Amino acid sequence: MSFEWPWQYNFPPFFTLQPNVDTRQKQLAAWCSLALAYCRHHKLYTLDVMESQESPVFNNKKIERKLSTEAIQVVFEELRKKGNLDWLDKNKSRCLVMWRRPEEWGKLIYQWVSKVGMINSVFTLYELSNGDDTEGEEFHGLEEWILLRSFKGVKFF
Amino acid sequence: MHRRGVGAGAIAKKKLAEVCYIMSKQIETFKSHLEEFASKHKQEIRKNSQFRVQFQEMCATIGVDPLASGKGFWSEMLGVGDFYYELGVQIIEVCLALKHRNGGLITLDELHQRVLKGRGKYAQDVSQDDLVRAIKKLKAMGNGFGMIPVGGSYLVQSVPAELNMDHTVVLQLAEKKGYVTVSEIKEHLKWERERSCHVLDHLLKEGLAWLDSQAAGEPQYWLPALFSEISSRDVTPDEANQMTP
Repeated sequence: MSFEWPWQYNFPPFFTLQPNVDTRQKQLAAWCSLALAYCRHHKLYTLDVMESQESPVFNNKKIERKLSTEAIQVVFEELRKKGNLDWLDKNKSRCLVMWRRPEEWGKLIYQWVSKVGMINSVFTLYELSNGDDTEGEEFHGLEEWILLRSFKGVKFF
Repeated sequence: MHRRGVGAGAIAKKKLAEVCYIMSKQIETFKSHLEEFASKHKQEIRKNSQFRVQFQEMCATIGVDPLASGKGFWSEMLGVGDFYYELGVQIIEVCLALKHRNGGLITLDELHQRVLKGRGKYAQDVSQDDLVRAIKKLKAMGNGFGMIPVGGSYLVQSVPAELNMDHTVVLQLAEKKGYVTVSEIKEHLKWERERSCHVLDHLLKEGLAWLDSQAAGEPQYWLPALFSEISSRDVTPDEANQMTP
């Protein structure tokens, strides 16, 4: 299924950080949704700021508009405030994108575990993310670092 | 005492009274014919927009406004008042739902499309004339509604943003391409740069325009209300969550 772009994506001013405060709020909210949706669709978990500038999300070649590095940073900061992003380095050049927050993953996994009646069993992380049993579950294929984070606050043992 | 011209004055008065009496009788007759017509064609009026236009025009010639008030013969007998009242409510709903996108400005075309969509396949036929009348009613009730003529149709304004003649004229200029620049304003309207910028800043401030600083040459000011791609897109659940209360 191909990714469906929101109407803003083809609206040239969407790629200019808006001077009006209220409009900017709406713009950033839309950017956050778009970035997360795009990452979810392509199962992306990390983003590099430099590389992102060339990614189709932030660079719409068809209308010849792209978000500046500064604007991308602003969007990322918004995502961080919402709990959907974590910086991997002090220079803020790479980040982890959590289009689902760790707690949400934890809940999903726990629901699956109780569904299959496996509470109180032992799983390896590998079994959970790559095992045959979990194929078809949303968390199948989930990267290890996020699995680990999702266990925080969820009582598995 | 000298009462000069008494005879002439009294006769003139009497004549006038007679004429008025005859006229009022004629109006009474005409009105009752109209009532009869209305009751016979009540269904037609509700279902057929062409019919409604003609009926409205007929009423206008005798100085009757079927939408004048909620109560009263016309609206009760015909349900015409109900029809436009319900339409007004629908219009408000559509405008509210899209306000976060277009700042409270929408083309009559898009409004029409969405109202029809909202009424479903089997709903009564609603014309743009119907919308214009309903909006005029809303405006008269002080709901912050207004209509700006652009490019042969209208932009419907649903928030009481302060728009004066200068703003209106720039909106009309922007209608062709969906955006406008300072140069275009200076060229077509012969304004000074400062006046042009002032108007554009105001449109930005009211949330009616967005700035595009990556356009070749000079910044472009785009109006979401005129962006044609918008009209086909529904409000997604994501968007709905983003709407400021």
